[in-house]
Amino acid sequence: MQRQLTPGRRIPLLLAAACLLATATARAAIAQGAALVDAEREAYLEWLQRSPLSPYAAVAQLPVGQGIRLGSDHGDVALTGVALHTIANSDGIVAMTGPEGRRALPRGRPVRLGGYAIVSGGTASRPVVTIFDSTRARGTPHWYPYDAALSFAGPLHPPDSARSRLVLSPEGVEVTAEDAGSVIVPIGGKPVRLSVMRLPDPVSGESDLEIYFRDSTNGDSTYPAGRFVSLVPAGKGNWRLDFNRSRNPFCAYSSAFACPAPWRGNAIPADVRAGEQYQPKE
Amino acid sequence: MNSLLLALAVALPCHTGLAGPWRAALALAGGELRFSLQIADSADRLTGRVCNAGSCGALSGVRQAGDSVRLEIADYAASIAATCSGDTLAGFYRNVGNRGPRVIPFHASRGRWDAAPVPRRLAGRWDATFVSGQRRSPRVLLFEGGPSGLQGTVISNTGDYGTFQGQLDGDSVAMSHFDGSFVYLLTARLDGDTLRGTFHAGLSTQTPFTAVRSTGRDHLRPPTSLTQADTTAPFHFAFPDLNGRMVRNDDPRFRGKVVLIDIFGTWCPTCQEAAPELVRLWHEYRARGLEIAGIAYEVSGDTAIDAALVRRYKARHQIPFPLLLGGTNTVEATAATLPQLTGFTSYPTTIFLGRDGRVRRVHAGFYGASTGPMHQQQVASFRAFIEQLLEEP
Repeated sequence: MQRQLTPGRRIPLLLAAACLLATATARAAIAQGAALVDAEREAYLEWLQRSPLSPYAAVAQLPVGQGIRLGSDHGDVALTGVALHTIANSDGIVAMTGPEGRRALPRGRPVRLGGYAIVSGGTASRPVVTIFDSTRARGTPHWYPYDAALSFAGPLHPPDSARSRLVLSPEGVEVTAEDAGSVIVPIGGKPVRLSVMRLPDPVSGESDLEIYFRDSTNGDSTYPAGRFVSLVPAGKGNWRLDFNRSRNPFCAYSSAFACPAPWRGNAIPADVRAGEQYQPKE
Repeated sequence: MNSLLLALAVALPCHTGLAGPWRAALALAGGELRFSLQIADSADRLTGRVCNAGSCGALSGVRQAGDSVRLEIADYAASIAATCSGDTLAGFYRNVGNRGPRVIPFHASRGRWDAAPVPRRLAGRWDATFVSGQRRSPRVLLFEGGPSGLQGTVISNTGDYGTFQGQLDGDSVAMSHFDGSFVYLLTARLDGDTLRGTFHAGLSTQTPFTAVRSTGRDHLRPPTSLTQADTTAPFHFAFPDLNGRMVRNDDPRFRGKVVLIDIFGTWCPTCQEAAPELVRLWHEYRARGLEIAGIAYEVSGDTAIDAALVRRYKARHQIPFPLLLGGTNTVEATAATLPQLTGFTSYPTTIFLGRDGRVRRVHAGFYGASTGPMHQQQVASFRAFIEQLLEEP
């Protein structure tokens, strides 16, 4: 099959020399990397399939905006067996009002509403609410076998200037991300530059260096919109980009989540047969 | 050769009995986070503690089935699952965050970490500036010697990050803290009179910082300046106690007394450090007219689950004053239940009420014992202010 390749940016020779280097020499390190990825997948699988807040269980995610109405009838979201409730944002506090009174929706914490769980998230200025139904059918994620050749370590090249912009996080929430620079990976026979953003998690207060990338497997064996992969520190100022840890945005598990638009330029003109796969529903 | 040793170790059966001290570490990408495990075997029941330089917290469960070992940290819905081989444990620490589970490699071997010396050029107090993107925020770093060698802490405007244990390699220092939930590693290098490094929180959040020796001037904002209160009317609260009875600010037990309101959570290590001090104050000043009420903000928001956690907290610290269930543990939820506060930022927060029921001071955060003189000054300031309020008609 002829691959649909996206042209990559031309990279000057000096920059190419600073490419991330494959680290396939230390057998023990590879074994440890594979074991960590296995453990992460096991934990992730259990969370996806058992947690009441699994993205598979999400039925709706809405910006609070001017207010949301939930309930069996006349609601923005129809929830079986639930009396009409309204959710509103007042001075940064998201609260739900219903027949039993008003209660605050703490960020990141589930509040029960009938058979559903309501979780407030997003930022203080742009709160969103996600509604989970733990009885919702769940799928099973699949992954490529671990491939040590697709784990790289090397420098993160700083951006020309400090910039930030609104992007959607993996869980479909609008966040202000900072341009963290770029990495250059020798993949598909030539160096490819990938831009890196620092994505805050408004709930935990932590942040991750993320790459949202596309590659030639998208729409075939991986999610059409692309996948996220986090950079983790690799010591001595270097960073590890392990494509085996690539994961789908939450919109791959439920249409409740908005899908992030692909990041400009982050298209790898080659197959990245590592990380999470995608099998669309029949 | 190393591979051969590794293979031999893997083949070894677990030596009988986990009891004893263990040199434990989380393999963070930014470096090794060292801590200590202490496991005891009494009456055929295993118990354990996680320790940072002698400051320990109890594990909620230690289970062993053959070579499989599981350490439960129930307060934080976290666990360590490991395989025992010979005198080593290897596995993974795991907790669940907003974006799913986090997994960090864990390993341990029998014994105690060597005590690192405390070089004079490092010991003492440093004023640090943490840089996160465009934002700069102050911290104070403390380095000192303790029974386990180099130890210290990191202090923000609202309190400390707990006790860190340290290791040295030439001009490089690494300080680590793991209490089952919070995963902190500070790595830095001494460059003349400047300390430059990175503060690692969790698996991948890294905040660069630069620190210089403290000049003695205030580097942090005073904890009494962070949260404001409406002082035009008595401070109103009404929450259920652990038996479901409503407790209010105008109940007879509070009327005409100096009252301390402790806003806390059982999940909050700093609150755990503050609790014994509050108990001491209650015993010391109760006869002269002091009363205390704790308002708990918990993780689940489920009254039955929260009440059970708060009961355990009350028993652990032998708390004689009422503990009330305030709600869930986010700044927004707490602020919503206490509308007379503005700028609520941290757990714990201690509110001092005069005999007329009005707010006289709001102290955000708590400097734990690891902060040394700051802790002592804070407790002295609590005492002095209580004395002052008690003297007022």
